[in-house]
Amino acid sequence: MKTLEAALLAAHDAGDRHALVTLYQQAAETVSGAERAFFLTQAHVFAMELAHPAAEALRAQLVEMGREEPL
Amino acid sequence: MTHSDLDSVRRPIATAHGLPNAHYTDPAVFAEERDALLAAEWAGLGVAADVPEPGDARPIDFLGMPLLLLRDRAGVVRVFHNICRHRGMILVDAPRRIEGALRCPYHSWCYSTEGRLVSTPHVGGPGQNTATGIDRDTLGLIEVRSHIWMGVVWSNLSGDAAPFVEHHADLLARWGEFDHPLHHGGADSCFVLDVACNWKLAVENYCESYHLPWVHPGLNTYSRLEDHYHIEATDRYSGQGTHVYRQLTGPEDQRFADFDGLSPKWDTAAEYIAAYPNVLLGVHRDHAFAIVLTPKGPGHTQEQIHLFYPEADTDADLRARNTAQWKDVFKEDIFVVEGMQRGRHAPAFDGGRFSAAMDGPTHMFHAWVAARMQHHRAQAEAAE
Repeated sequence: MKTLEAALLAAHDAGDRHALVTLYQQAAETVSGAERAFFLTQAHVFAMELAHPAAEALRAQLVEMGREEPL
Repeated sequence: MTHSDLDSVRRPIATAHGLPNAHYTDPAVFAEERDALLAAEWAGLGVAADVPEPGDARPIDFLGMPLLLLRDRAGVVRVFHNICRHRGMILVDAPRRIEGALRCPYHSWCYSTEGRLVSTPHVGGPGQNTATGIDRDTLGLIEVRSHIWMGVVWSNLSGDAAPFVEHHADLLARWGEFDHPLHHGGADSCFVLDVACNWKLAVENYCESYHLPWVHPGLNTYSRLEDHYHIEATDRYSGQGTHVYRQLTGPEDQRFADFDGLSPKWDTAAEYIAAYPNVLLGVHRDHAFAIVLTPKGPGHTQEQIHLFYPEADTDADLRARNTAQWKDVFKEDIFVVEGMQRGRHAPAFDGGRFSAAMDGPTHMFHAWVAARMQHHRAQAEAAE
């Protein structure tokens, strides 16, 4: 997890939003519940901003978890 | 400042005075005019070509108001207040392309390019993106009424003017023959002039042909004063036309293409109109231009000049020459508008007088300003 945190900080520093989508999804896979929803939300926001292909699936996951509304 | 000062402006031209000095120098009057003349009317903000592709966004500071020009996914140019509905953060601080959603850089509330609020991350707590009371349907970007015509983005900030096509029906009919797609000439067909004058002086100078022989002697060699006519439409626009427009030609007699379907009048005619409050337009058989005046303060105006053509593909050298030619003409006007601005600091100046024969279009603009300001002040007094 420390490696992932370092990678996330580096991606934030670099403004590398594509990497942020990937890294936050990876972070979500390591946890559950509210913490998982937090990381999925982070991934979803950057994916929406980029029109990233993962955006739709990320939103669907959050909706299924009761954490988001459908578009 | 009294109403009688403005009554004298509204008198018939032969006895009228021009607007008092305060309309050019006083920050309080500048603020009044912002509401009465610019926000309440259909003012020019920029050109649609400023945001050529879907997702293109450009922040605009108009009279201190942060606005956002944005071309949505469907290609529609929209104007929004450039603020997030959450904490009022500026959303876009430099021109850029919005790839997907427009994300506020503060707490990452996200908007579609149509202005819809589509994400409110963690608004209900970490990982909970909805919350009671946060109704996304009512929290989209605040859109300002806008309309595209002659390549210009016109906007009615107060939201209560008549629809653009109704307000400017007369002008749209007058120039109906130019109702074709206009192609912006690109990077070599626009320039900005920063001028040390009140925005109204740029309008006033543009309206009339009286100054041409003195300030633009180059134009006068073929387009003499007697070849010009006044254009006057009360409360809407005024300007001048010429009967002797001559096309620009290249060394091998290259010319720009004409707009399709023009009547013979336009073989040699050209018209130059100030559409109140702040857009100066010119049309010719083979090109058009728009000057959007952005008031930056009582004595400072930014002029954005854009040239348009009937076709997307035009001769680059000819286009560059046309831009340079107009730039020379507009730069020739700077010393007079800046000189008049300095003159407005002379306490003895009484607004000046008009030539009944030559200054009609300028007086028409003054009279419009005076009438709108009187109306605005009367409304303000009634509300007190």
